[in-house]
Amino acid sequence: MKDQLLELKIRALKALESVAERSDVEKLTQQYLGRKGCFTLLLKRLPELPKEERPAIGKLVNQLKEELQRAFQAATDALTAKAEHEISVFDVTLPGRRSPLGHMHPITQTTEEICRIFVTLGFRVVQGPEVELDYYNFEALNMPKDHPARDMQDTFYISDNVVLRTHTSPMEIRVMEAQSPPVSIISPGKVYRPDSDISHTPMFHQVEGLLVDRGVTFGDLKGTLTTFVHQMFGHDTKLRFRPSFFPFTEPSAEVDIQCVVCKGKGCRTCSHTGWIEILGSGMNDPELYRFVGYDPESYSGFAFGLGVERIAMLKSGLDDIRLFFENDIRFLQQF
Amino acid sequence: MKVSLNWLKDFVGIEQTHVELAEMLTMAGLEVEGLEHRGHKLDNIAVSRILDILPHPNANRLSICKLDVGKDEVSVVCGATNIATGMLVPLALPGNTLPDGTKIKESTIRGEVSCGMLLAEDEMGLTDDHTGIMVLPENLTPGQPLSASMDLEDWVFEIGITPNRIDCASVIGVAREIAALTKKPLTMPDIRFETSDKKIDDLAQVTIIDPEGCPRYSAGLAEGVNIGPSPFWMRYRLHASGIRAINNVVDITNYVLLELGQPLHAFDYYELADRRIVVKRAEVGDVFTTLDGQDRDLNDQTLMICDGQRQVAVAGIMGGLNSEITEATTTVLIESAYFNPTSIRRSSKWLSLATEASYRFERNIDVEGTVFALKRSLALIARLAEGFVAEGIIDCYPRPWSAPEITLRVDKANEFLGTSIDKREVVDHISALHMEIKEQDHNKLLVKPPAFRGDITREADLFEEIARLVGYDNIPVTLPLIKPTEEEQPELCLRDRCKALLVGLGFTEVITYSFISPQSADLLGAGENSDLRSFVKLRNSLSQDQSVMRT
Repeated sequence: MKDQLLELKIRALKALESVAERSDVEKLTQQYLGRKGCFTLLLKRLPELPKEERPAIGKLVNQLKEELQRAFQAATDALTAKAEHEISVFDVTLPGRRSPLGHMHPITQTTEEICRIFVTLGFRVVQGPEVELDYYNFEALNMPKDHPARDMQDTFYISDNVVLRTHTSPMEIRVMEAQSPPVSIISPGKVYRPDSDISHTPMFHQVEGLLVDRGVTFGDLKGTLTTFVHQMFGHDTKLRFRPSFFPFTEPSAEVDIQCVVCKGKGCRTCSHTGWIEILGSGMNDPELYRFVGYDPESYSGFAFGLGVERIAMLKSGLDDIRLFFENDIRFLQQF
Repeated sequence: MKVSLNWLKDFVGIEQTHVELAEMLTMAGLEVEGLEHRGHKLDNIAVSRILDILPHPNANRLSICKLDVGKDEVSVVCGATNIATGMLVPLALPGNTLPDGTKIKESTIRGEVSCGMLLAEDEMGLTDDHTGIMVLPENLTPGQPLSASMDLEDWVFEIGITPNRIDCASVIGVAREIAALTKKPLTMPDIRFETSDKKIDDLAQVTIIDPEGCPRYSAGLAEGVNIGPSPFWMRYRLHASGIRAINNVVDITNYVLLELGQPLHAFDYYELADRRIVVKRAEVGDVFTTLDGQDRDLNDQTLMICDGQRQVAVAGIMGGLNSEITEATTTVLIESAYFNPTSIRRSSKWLSLATEASYRFERNIDVEGTVFALKRSLALIARLAEGFVAEGIIDCYPRPWSAPEITLRVDKANEFLGTSIDKREVVDHISALHMEIKEQDHNKLLVKPPAFRGDITREADLFEEIARLVGYDNIPVTLPLIKPTEEEQPELCLRDRCKALLVGLGFTEVITYSFISPQSADLLGAGENSDLRSFVKLRNSLSQDQSVMRT
């Protein structure tokens, strides 16, 4: 009987080795350990044994049953794990694992939006130095030393002749020096002025634009900037061109758009005028052409410059420019 | 620049409302940045006549005024000492609120009932004078509202003056612009006055040693002036423009500065040694005490006004303490000069002293306007300070101005602006700006701008004037044909791609200031002579933390 029992165990374990499904394990369990299983049948024959052998055999049966029970359970677990694993590879209905979202800085986003509009119109993007010669920042833009127009822009100086550029306009001169007409460029970048309060930071961003060709008119300037405003702020945005003064344009025009907050009714944002100034522009002053060797009789053109922060603030409703450079991640992740 | 609407109306007819006028000026390049309503909250303040002044029974310093307010008689307790029986004074009755928010109530002051309050000028927000109760002109009727009786209601335009339009930093300049825009005639201020039998040439001399710095110096003289306060109307206008009243002669120089844009200076004639004016540069090491009591170190570039022996004013910037107008002054010499803009600008920077005068001189005032402004001030001195004006004026003009001659091509103007304006219209606009025009042929005009338009020297400057008067909004909108040129700079494309990739990987972009603290090298453990310490330094950084550029 003892040999029978041991052989039974060996058979059971052997059978277990070749199972591939959980249902097969269950069948084996039934076959060996079930109510009508081999071990139960053998136990039923226990009374046939001599009285003195019975306890030892009974003990052995229970021991073997436990052993097999563990083996079957282990096989079931392994098969379950295997099955689950196979399911996860193939179940397309399960949600994917999220990777964190990155954010472009709002100034970068606004700059890109501005540039995209002008690129569509045929302008090319160029960039230039932020540490700039006085010559490019002022002199060649028709602002000689001792010119009162220099008061319009406080300046960071590095030496007598080297400044942090106060606007992106020096790129006009650099580009015209480097190529002959026609010219159509926009130039985004950082600029610097020693000012710091709710509406000024010592570093901010501008986008400069320059067009030079034969027969460019003031009407073309109006058309180009009207297209820009309509694409940037919506086609129903009213705008106006207002005479102003820049030393390097003549005539000069500031462009106001109808206040985006109050729609022209007058509010705090627009100082109750209904209008918000968004960019400066004008026809290129012939004096600039003298500096770069263009012929003012043959070529005309226009230039414009706009403040990226201002446009970003208008579009997002922010009222403190300093937020852009505090780099609070909770702020940046809202864009 | 603050400009009063009522003052403008002295020189040009204005039919628009203040809002329409602001809009018109803004769209012509004179941006109206603010509008201030003045003298309008005074409707409930009445003209009243003092019938009797009785001592207050319980207070030495107070008196009880019996007042005629038209229909009624009221009694008011008052502490002022400048009042007298028969005077007309402003009275606020109980229930009224003053411009500063004070509520007037019937009250009992030391046992006496007071039915209102007699007012000083500052309490009504008219000027900053608080020397006593405002004394009203005799021709007013008791019981009438003060504001209407004195025509006090006014609008003050705060105009942003661009550096090229210094001619508009004056009431006449803005009026001239309105006249050009509306094609209305311009009336110039009154410069008529009677002269005494003394001749100025016998009384004073002017010598210009530095004609480069001082191309023109005009001067006039008035004897027997009574220094005292200016009349209310003048102080009211000065206050509207943000200028403090001092005394009649100084106020007149400021008034003419605001009215005509010509800075003037009044000297006490008897303080001028040898009775003469000499214009020359200072010497290194000179120290001069300006009107504000400050000692100023001069350099050899500083242009000075001197008398026969010493310096008496920093030319075009500020007068000297040693020759200022005082209560005791009886004879004044008025300077109306034109100084070299660059010279004034350099001295103003050197001295760190910017004034209403230097602001205008350094932007190039009307060299042809010195004599007119001088005569205007002498007319006012004769009228308001009972001065006897000496016959004639001194006018040293070693470097006479000549107008630039500009050829204006009508077809080129249209080609440049994208318009189709005919020659007639161009002539109308340009001549409305006081420019002389000679028609050369069907297309060309020879234009001579006036001296006060120093910003107009080239044809392009005239294009701008045409565009301004036509109205920028009336220029048709067109699109240029842009020929795409070269490729984008490759490094820009690379940078943008890197940014896009990193944001795709979950990074968030930050933008920080390009200037940092020089101590940041310590944080990197940089040695004493490390390359990390070779910063590009800012000369005028906002703080130590932002004093060098990161590299």
